[in-house]
Amino acid sequence: MEFKVSLGPQHPALHEAVSLRMTLEGEIIRDADLKLGYSHRGIEKLAEERTFTQNIYLTERICGICSHSHTTCFVQGVEQLMELIPARRGLYIRTLIAELERVHSHLLWLGVAGQEAGFESFFMYTWRDREVVMDILDWITGNRVHYAMNTFGGVRRDIDELQKKKILDSLDLLTKRTEYYLKIGANEPTFVGRLAGVGKLSREDAIALCAVGPTLRASGVPMDVRKDDPYAVYNEIPFEVCTADSCDVLGRAVVRVKELIQSYKMIEFLLKNLPDGPFKVKAPRKVKPNEVYSRYEAPRGENVHYIKSNGSDKPERLKVRAPTLANYTATIKMLKNGFIADIPLIFAAIDPCICCAERLVQLDNPRSGESKVLSFSQLRTMANDHYKKVNLLKKEAVWPF
Amino acid sequence: MNSEAIFEKINGEIKDKILEAAIAAPRRISVKVERGQLLAVLAYLKDQLQFTHLATISGVDLGENFEVIYHLSNDTTTILLRILTPRAEPKIPSVCQVIPGAILYERELQDMFGLLVENIPDPRRLLLCDDWPQGQYPLRKDWKFNRPAEIIPGGK
Repeated sequence: MEFKVSLGPQHPALHEAVSLRMTLEGEIIRDADLKLGYSHRGIEKLAEERTFTQNIYLTERICGICSHSHTTCFVQGVEQLMELIPARRGLYIRTLIAELERVHSHLLWLGVAGQEAGFESFFMYTWRDREVVMDILDWITGNRVHYAMNTFGGVRRDIDELQKKKILDSLDLLTKRTEYYLKIGANEPTFVGRLAGVGKLSREDAIALCAVGPTLRASGVPMDVRKDDPYAVYNEIPFEVCTADSCDVLGRAVVRVKELIQSYKMIEFLLKNLPDGPFKVKAPRKVKPNEVYSRYEAPRGENVHYIKSNGSDKPERLKVRAPTLANYTATIKMLKNGFIADIPLIFAAIDPCICCAERLVQLDNPRSGESKVLSFSQLRTMANDHYKKVNLLKKEAVWPF
Repeated sequence: MNSEAIFEKINGEIKDKILEAAIAAPRRISVKVERGQLLAVLAYLKDQLQFTHLATISGVDLGENFEVIYHLSNDTTTILLRILTPRAEPKIPSVCQVIPGAILYERELQDMFGLLVENIPDPRRLLLCDDWPQGQYPLRKDWKFNRPAEIIPGGK
């Protein structure tokens, strides 16, 4: 007997609100379907009516967490169209903000994963540490979310010696705490047991379904735009591409923790090797007719902008593909043949741009046929209770570091 | 294999299937093909040169024609594989049988440009709302947004 369960659409104020509709057989998901477009704002059409400079601030508002990712992707593309060589110090600061953004996004994700797995104190710890990064970003850019740092030819604000010192001091703290979480993770069998084997996505499927970012890297594919197609100053910074072979949610957590440690090292390198000189150069207002394809490794994966110019001060076409869209097809694959209790965890594991929505779920009781509406938090409690009762062999799984 | 070697290979092995190829920028190759040859070229690029990752499909309104660009990446190079389809008969073949991950991008093209994707496994709307009028394609250049007059239910 089959049942249809819908999850979402959720909070209308959130970017990429999504409705998941699942066909269930008992507790097992047999089929899943996505319905998008609940927060489609027509940004691509709007961009055609704005000048290039106005579009920097428009692209910034595509996403609240990877706001710097979208502007950098747009700005570096338009710089190529303008045949403009940006200031080196500007590029270093741009990369610094990008890595700080990755740190705050990954810490946010770790907290969400901890919460979905029922490890609430982990959520409290990582979100406390995320505030350290948010404060740094606030201090050097003036804003917590939309940093507004990028401009054609460099960045809009310089950083001074005092700010450099404060970032380096905070970095020591963050590195220590992240290592502490690694230790907790390695010695916490319930956490490992909850994540291991959930949301399997084989290497072949991940490639065929064009997954990106940590989702793809956790399936053992070392694809990272920063290495494959280096932009900004990534060809000068030493770093490693982090992968995992376990193809599950645990692997995705491992990849992100490893990336955090890499990011701390990169931030330290960027600050210690920050070149002197101007942080921006003057950019022309009009752009020759041409096209450019710009790639960027956002915290969630490859972010893509295709920009076509027509000789005026406005773009002819701006195509944006945010990483979450690329991971949706793979998410459906991960959900199939999984448990309904794993939905929050699997869906959170791709790090969609939806994290604090109070979603509603309609559940049909397979025995009595009666329906009831549950809130997302109730569903999570149910999931955690379910796993407390089940005797899982995988509790003996080891943290694969 | 770097972009130059890939460019040489494309120009050597499938020259009869493509219209033109050029290195547009560092690590970017632009390839133009006929609509009918798209699947064959895509399969060649995927199987022989490991272009397994389709980042997205962009549509561009050129007036008389629509340009459809498939952005394919491997570990060194990105190929912008482009086809033209006339506005009078906007049909493109579905590439899902070669790259299953293309489904969402093809559905988006159907919504936004009114392109008819032949043999698409799932032709439903993706982004536009359920009560969106038929025949309105927002990303076409001749489509302008006119805000409808606000009607307050029960108002005057």
